[in-house]
Amino acid sequence: MLSVLIWLPILGAAIIGFLPGIFSAKQVRTGALAITGAVLAWTIFLMTQFDPSNSGLQLQEYLPWIETLGLNYQLGVDGLSLVLLALNSLLTWIAVFSSKVEIERPRLFYALILLISGGVAGAFLAQNLLLFFLFYELELVPFYLLISIWGGSKRGYAATKFLIYTATSGALILAGFLGLILLTGASSFAYESLAGQALPLGLQVILLGVLLVGFGIKIPLVPLHTWLPDTYVEASTPVAILLGGVLAKLGTYGIFRFGLGLFPDAWRVLAPWLAIWAAVSVLYGAIAAIAQKDIKRMVAYSSIGHMGYVLLGGAAATELSLVGAVSQMVAHGLILAILFNLVGIIEAKVGTRELDVLNGLMNPIRGLPTISSLLVVGAMASAGIPGMAGFIAEFLVFQGSFVAFPLQTLLCVAGTGLTAVYFVILLNRTCFGKLDNAIAYFPKVEFSEKLPAFILVALIFFLGVQPTWLVRWSEPTTNAMVAAVPAGSVLGRVGGDRPIATPPELIPMATIPTLEP
Amino acid sequence: MMFQFLAQTAWFVPCYPLVGMLLSIAWFPSVIRRTGPRPAGYVNLIMTLVAFLHAVLAFSATWNQPAQYQYIPWLQVANLDLTIPLEISAITIGGLILVTGINFLAQWYAVGYLEMDWGWARFYALLALFEAGMCALILCNSLFFSYIVLEILTLGTYLLVGFWLNQPLVVTGARDAFLTKRVGDLFLLMGVLALYPLAGTWDFYELGLWAQTAQVDPKVATLVALALIAGPMGKCAQFPLHLWLDEAMEGPLPSTILRNSVVVATGAWVLVKLAPVLALSPVALTAMIAIGAVTAIGGTLIAIAQIDVKRALSYLVSAYMGLVFIAVGAQQTEAALLLVLTHALAMALLVMSTGSIVLNNITQDLTQLGGLWSRRPITGLSFVVGALGLIALPPLGSFWAMLKLADGLWATRPVVVAILLVVNALSAFGVTRVFGLIFAGKRQQMSERSPENLWTITMPMMIMAGFTLHLPLILQSLSLLPNWAILNKDMALLLIWSSIFGISLGGIIYIGQAISRPVGIWQPLRDLLAYDFYTPRIYRSTIVGSVDVVSRIVDWGDRYIVDGLVNFIGFASIFGGETLKYGNSGRTQFYALTIAAGVVIITVLMSWSILTHLSFPIAQ
Repeated sequence: MLSVLIWLPILGAAIIGFLPGIFSAKQVRTGALAITGAVLAWTIFLMTQFDPSNSGLQLQEYLPWIETLGLNYQLGVDGLSLVLLALNSLLTWIAVFSSKVEIERPRLFYALILLISGGVAGAFLAQNLLLFFLFYELELVPFYLLISIWGGSKRGYAATKFLIYTATSGALILAGFLGLILLTGASSFAYESLAGQALPLGLQVILLGVLLVGFGIKIPLVPLHTWLPDTYVEASTPVAILLGGVLAKLGTYGIFRFGLGLFPDAWRVLAPWLAIWAAVSVLYGAIAAIAQKDIKRMVAYSSIGHMGYVLLGGAAATELSLVGAVSQMVAHGLILAILFNLVGIIEAKVGTRELDVLNGLMNPIRGLPTISSLLVVGAMASAGIPGMAGFIAEFLVFQGSFVAFPLQTLLCVAGTGLTAVYFVILLNRTCFGKLDNAIAYFPKVEFSEKLPAFILVALIFFLGVQPTWLVRWSEPTTNAMVAAVPAGSVLGRVGGDRPIATPPELIPMATIPTLEP
Repeated sequence: MMFQFLAQTAWFVPCYPLVGMLLSIAWFPSVIRRTGPRPAGYVNLIMTLVAFLHAVLAFSATWNQPAQYQYIPWLQVANLDLTIPLEISAITIGGLILVTGINFLAQWYAVGYLEMDWGWARFYALLALFEAGMCALILCNSLFFSYIVLEILTLGTYLLVGFWLNQPLVVTGARDAFLTKRVGDLFLLMGVLALYPLAGTWDFYELGLWAQTAQVDPKVATLVALALIAGPMGKCAQFPLHLWLDEAMEGPLPSTILRNSVVVATGAWVLVKLAPVLALSPVALTAMIAIGAVTAIGGTLIAIAQIDVKRALSYLVSAYMGLVFIAVGAQQTEAALLLVLTHALAMALLVMSTGSIVLNNITQDLTQLGGLWSRRPITGLSFVVGALGLIALPPLGSFWAMLKLADGLWATRPVVVAILLVVNALSAFGVTRVFGLIFAGKRQQMSERSPENLWTITMPMMIMAGFTLHLPLILQSLSLLPNWAILNKDMALLLIWSSIFGISLGGIIYIGQAISRPVGIWQPLRDLLAYDFYTPRIYRSTIVGSVDVVSRIVDWGDRYIVDGLVNFIGFASIFGGETLKYGNSGRTQFYALTIAAGVVIITVLMSWSILTHLSFPIAQ
């Protein structure tokens, strides 16, 4: 069941990649749409099969692979991974749909996108550290090629930067995983074999720190973020949607699954610092976004700020904040996708992304009124206006984190105010103002080009008005994760200046739900 | 029975305009080309009328009945239960009547006012959003959902003020309105977040119960209360968050009718609902009175120095909301609500009548108008009714509200009563001044030709004048007027005298024209008031300026320090984009093929154990 999500796109990639050259770009695109559509349909089917009230792993699959290495093909899905899988399937479809119809070298392009889809699904499904790592690294090369072939003018620089950063991230994560296995002496890389292992708190903190930096590059957290603006800006629209909407979520997923899930005690120690880190990221991303003159770059920086909320929710690790953080991952994915989609359309039709050049696109006759209206919705959803998905996710994070870290939470709330500042700048310059009639001969925006944005807007509104559909999948899982964290107030237990190297008391690692036979 | 049913289904009322809004969104430019923009407006007029009738009919079922509560489940997550509580009582249904009624008249007015505009669909959709939001705010009995509505209305303000979006002043006005209100909203959000761990509920009713017995650290209580006040401060345009209302005057006038009368009152409504919680902190109560007093005096003074008629009225709105702040600060919530009601009707009428002048004299500059009394008798009379309804002059509405307020303040805070009298006198002076500049004196070029407007403008204005005139009767029939026997007659006389003083002084200067204009007061003082205490400039050089500078510094640091360090380390310079040019298509495909081949080989090697396990027949 679950393997389909991995192998269907990879198989599709193989088919599309080796198609004979007689097919036109449009036909290849149709093929890719069909495959990603099938994956999406299968994901929806899986969601109907998924039991949201069960906090453990479901629909598991197991196939022995290299047992001497402790590497087995072991899949499962719980509430945390399910919503991210759904996001991945949806955004891949949206990304394919947002691609230019007459794209150059279509077979390679769509094959790489499908490969990414399969790889990301594998990472979310994997129940084995090494398997996760393989899938995690699988993204790297397709993304590198997608940026360096179909990117903007500085694509070579951006792609290389992305490659190096992500490779570093992978190396750190691998180091963390290997360290974990070697130090605990676990029998395999399977998540469940780590259950009940004990490790001194100091070592836990070090391993967690390594993983945090590794995944922090992917999220990204300030100051590990500088690959992001260049990469997002140089990447073409569909690639930017995947990078921001899905790939960044691998980072937060990793932090939650392996950081909070495997090192709850060390997490407790580092939580106040993580919350500060989150607040810094939020404020830094928002303030840097205000100064941007390129709308795509502005959206890219906004992404840094918004991922900070996820970290804040994770750091507080209350039931509410964690379910809020997972919701925020989904909401951020949807909102970032629509923003990149619309920015891409504006760039394609108007020919520029410069704030100082753009003006008056809301003009009903000669501008892009529908695109502008959608942009208003997307920007306001991102700024956290209620009624849309972003608000309720952020609100749950704030309310959940406030009890643990009031000051950091309030700083993040201030960050949403700054978010409003740069989005108002963006809207005022782009949509409002006087359209210069001399240059306003924009190509018509076809309905099919608007369709992804319409779908995303519908979802953003639906999840904003009916947030139950956003939280119901992951709530039992996140509750269980919080329950695994030792009781006691975070603030009470952890002083800010507690030395990392505490006496080697042996603390049991998190109990991970064991496999049903 | 029927009325009872209508009262039970009062939550339909916000839904009608919402339906109207969704319908008018369907009027895309392409549809407008076929039908013209008008049907979008008519749809909304009908929906608003339905909402109004529903509320009116439901009112009789709630009058003299205890409040009923309904609960709509919305979200239940972790230990947080977000159920929407609705309160159906005479006060809330009365609020619905006020909102839908003024909305109906404003939308009707807009039919004439925006006759030539193509943006009807957008305009009416936004008016409907406001109507739905305000109705929802009145019905919902929870701080959290009030916050949601206020925040959505902030977005609505942005879009509505920015309606004529190709004018630069409109764009900056919309921006400032949005950001100022957002600042207030965010403080409110902080208050909302902080209140829940203390009280465990956001339901206003339960909050009231909790506040009676709550033991909260005074410092915490003060901080929370101040944060909660900040939201209404933004909405009610109180100092120092008052600037947006002035700039919002760039928006279309029919929306100003709503904004100046009921939209600003949303803040007052939340404040009144929060009164028991705010009472936990004496500091917050004093702060409210101080903010209200400063705004009331400052607002009326600034209003007198404005030459733009819309601005002259908008600062009075701030001032009256300041009085509401004083009332809530002094825990006179009934007086506060009464003042909101009387102010809403009178101010809506004032805006309608000045709009009627502005529309066909094509100027809102008071110095260019004059001598219109004989040409615009209906508009003139409406203005007079509105002006008298606004200040404390019996028998019209605001007199009773101010009397109630002054009466309640007299025993505890006599100084505030003095402030109230000053504000009333200044307001009386201000409205008389506007009246004199528009209707008295010599006709000028802009007011030479000025007939009464289309019936779609004049009619709603006259109906509004009728409501303003009848308000005391309505109040009496609802027994909201004080008993003659226990009336504080000294206070009443003081209020009346202050009104008469203001009117006469204004009359002497601006109607009788005993003094040549512009009145020669000390120039720096006049500029100080005319430019709103230089608040825009202060903002620009402090908050706006510092955010701008900080963002530039961070951006610079990001490019040259954080990123520069990375580049310096040499990762990028070694493999830099300049050296690896992937423009050559053949090479890249070669790379891709190499990588694909490598992946296949590695996979096969790693999977060798499985492949051998699979025991192909060939292998055997």
